[in-house]
Amino acid sequence: MKIRFAAFLIALLCLSVWPCDQVQANGAKKSNPGTIVGPKFTVMSPMGIPPAIKTLAMAPRLNTLDGKTIYIVDDGFVGGDVLLKEMAAWFSRNMPSVNVVYRRKAGAFEAEDPPLWAEIKAKGDAVIMGVGH
Amino acid sequence: MESNLDKPTVSIITKYFKELVEENAAKKGMPDLRFTFVKSPVWGKTAEQLRKDVVEGTDPVTGKPVMQEIVAELTTPLSSKDTATRTVAQSAGPQHFGPDTAENLQRLFEDKGMTDHLPIVLPTEEKVDAMLKGTSHKPDEVVGKISPTPGVYEYWSYTVRQVAVNAVMAGADPKDFPVILAIAAAGKESISSSDNSFAEAVVINGPIRDEIGLNYGIGALGPFSHANATIGRAYTLLSINGGNCGKVGETYMGVIGNPANYANIVIAENEKDSPWKPFSVRHGFKPDESVVSIFEGWGVISAKNSKFAVWQKDMNFAEELKNILNDQDGLFGGVAILSPAVANYVKEEGYDTVDKLTDWLYKSPDEATPHFRSPRQINVLVTGSSNNLYWDYGGMRYVKSVSVDKWR
Repeated sequence: MKIRFAAFLIALLCLSVWPCDQVQANGAKKSNPGTIVGPKFTVMSPMGIPPAIKTLAMAPRLNTLDGKTIYIVDDGFVGGDVLLKEMAAWFSRNMPSVNVVYRRKAGAFEAEDPPLWAEIKAKGDAVIMGVGH
Repeated sequence: MESNLDKPTVSIITKYFKELVEENAAKKGMPDLRFTFVKSPVWGKTAEQLRKDVVEGTDPVTGKPVMQEIVAELTTPLSSKDTATRTVAQSAGPQHFGPDTAENLQRLFEDKGMTDHLPIVLPTEEKVDAMLKGTSHKPDEVVGKISPTPGVYEYWSYTVRQVAVNAVMAGADPKDFPVILAIAAAGKESISSSDNSFAEAVVINGPIRDEIGLNYGIGALGPFSHANATIGRAYTLLSINGGNCGKVGETYMGVIGNPANYANIVIAENEKDSPWKPFSVRHGFKPDESVVSIFEGWGVISAKNSKFAVWQKDMNFAEELKNILNDQDGLFGGVAILSPAVANYVKEEGYDTVDKLTDWLYKSPDEATPHFRSPRQINVLVTGSSNNLYWDYGGMRYVKSVSVDKWR
């Protein structure tokens, strides 16, 4: 009897310190000391639908810039003209065989300039465009 | 340009825009578009400074000499990847998240950039279904599309269900949903990518205002009504998630940022106390139609902040409006948000219609070149209470109006 009672007390003692789930007043379970495991939810994504991307081929590169015509196109960003003209001057000093044509694109930064594009397509070999902010 | 003209191209970009341009190039189909990055800022520098620091300097991203790098980008042969063409599907990720605890899901949404960094209402299927009962439209119907800056970034589209998810996250009620859907249908981003840090305003007219408890009395522009707050917040969350806006460094470059982006500027007009026709009626809608109208610009501020806001015994509000509006930048035009008391004073000064007022405001004092491009660049709204003679103004322009009733 005494042995059974002792075993009962020992078992009771073990249960009180065993790291099992304890249910708290708010229904959350405490699985290990300091860890609270609440109810779990599945929620929906708020994300929209992105479009598919069609990759485009880049234009073939030139073997050399010597004797070529490079258009330096200014998109109108403040101060861009000063920088781009300095780039044109660099070509004059360092690669005088390159024909550099500076052009200010019409309209706002993102606006198209079809007459300029037609000119570049007809007369240009490459384009340097700036400045993107 | 490289694709259209078939000419090798290199773009000169200041270094802070690296992530943005690379992301944009990939989205437009040329992930390996060639860039040379330069030190920022470029403006405000002399030719000599730019020659020494930039032209004869190095690319701050690659460390290579700028001009030699430009030459290399125009002459280095392409790889097979650079010339391949194909269609690549994009995915915005899984349709669901979880199952997980509320705390973990809150953190997940925030870490994935799907929130405004404030706690959200978790969009369980039950809550989204409840929100969908706020409209007769089918969940899979495409409502509209948004781009962080049209013409620069791709458009993302969204369905009624996806708008509902964002509405739930914002804490909106199903009764607010038709207004949120109308805003979504307008297809105007609430968070532009521009480094200007733009803001959006939503003007609401018609019976819907009283139906859903929009505030147009004391504190009309403030956080004093559930409908005002959650509709504005839903607009922001939809722009972030539905339109891919607000991704700092990629689709958002606002230098200072704008606090109005949290919940936008939501303006329910005080039609009852206004001496003039509602804004929507002046733009072709019937008085019993519920309408949202979108404005874009810099934001609004109290006119009391202006040196032209002179308090005196005999006020001349129209003159004050003219002085204050003509003192601001003309890019977006001007908007005046008058309290009903100020609006009634202006009417008594001889302007019994808004058009009469804006025509007069448009004319410069000496009849020389007007400050704004047309009288229609000046807009006047009425909201708030009449407990004092205050009003707000801002550099904002009218974009478009959309019927709310269509989305009931």
